Amino acid sequence: MKSNNLVKIVSTIVGIVIAMFFVVLVVADPDQDIVARSPLLGQPAPAVTSETIDGAQFVLERRKGSWVVLNFFNSTCVPCINEHDLLVDFANSEASNLNGAEIYTIINDDSSDAVRDFFNKNGGDWQKVKDDNGAIAVAFGVARVPETWIIDPNGMVRLRITGELSPGLLSEQVNKLRDGFTS
Amino acid sequence: MKTRKSVWLAMFLLVAVLLVFGATRTGGPQTQQDRIDSLTAVLACPTCSGESVFVSRAAAAESIRAEVARQVSAGLRTDEQILSYIEQRFGGEVLLVPRATGVDALVWALPVAALVFSIFLLYSAFTKWRGNKPESPTSQDEQIVARALNTKSDEQ
Repeated sequence: MKSNNLVKIVSTIVGIVIAMFFVVLVVADPDQDIVARSPLLGQPAPAVTSETIDGAQFVLERRKGSWVVLNFFNSTCVPCINEHDLLVDFANSEASNLNGAEIYTIINDDSSDAVRDFFNKNGGDWQKVKDDNGAIAVAFGVARVPETWIIDPNGMVRLRITGELSPGLLSEQVNKLRDGFTS
Repeated sequence: MKTRKSVWLAMFLLVAVLLVFGATRTGGPQTQQDRIDSLTAVLACPTCSGESVFVSRAAAAESIRAEVARQVSAGLRTDEQILSYIEQRFGGEVLLVPRATGVDALVWALPVAALVFSIFLLYSAFTKWRGNKPESPTSQDEQIVARALNTKSDEQ
């Protein structure tokens, strides 16, 4: 008799847990935020040392003091191509700002020549940083391009945007961060 | 009865010792390539479905493999530190084998708890069934049966 009661209690508990799983499955919102989570948010940006396609050295740590936007890019990726005009507009508007953000393209799984050709055709005179073995992408946890990261003047990672940028999103986010920033 | 219990106890102890030995022995890989292979085999390709970094040829997997190879070659980090580095970048879902700490530990603990609980339930059930066995008839029962048989044969 005692054992029967135990079986009933256990079955009821298991049933309740399974029902709760179903409720969570039905009620939970899918994660559709373009501003994505990352364990690096609020942490110092990973150390990045590389060179640009023009042969200049690039050391991310030396950019401290400026807002930095890193855009992970591949010239054959459609969302990267789609958002390019928005990046050009963003770079132009930031260039006229005294406290403007610097933008850098991080080349992801692409050749320097292909990237150079793309920028010659589509504009964008900022620096394009090589990432030949994918070390920068791994350091930031980038699996798919495009991704855009914002780093504050203290060298802390502040925002990660996955996927194609929407009009005004990058300016809006940078301005918001800049307004709330205290060094 | 006592002997049977001792046999079960000995078997249980043997299994426990083998499990502890298997879980703690350090017959690790020897060469750098072995280390790279064993590390990438427990990392999930972040852009594929159900593939490890070791087997995947996706760009993201290639990058992770190159990073693991670079860190192994540098010789500055242990396997655990390299896995942590990748996990801190890509999140816990990049680990194909869950960690045995925090909430992840439930993945390991729950099946064991379920097994122990099931064994307990089975043991309880078997004990109960054995207890329900009909007792051997008393002399009184035998007399009743004998009387009934006699009555039946008299009627015939």
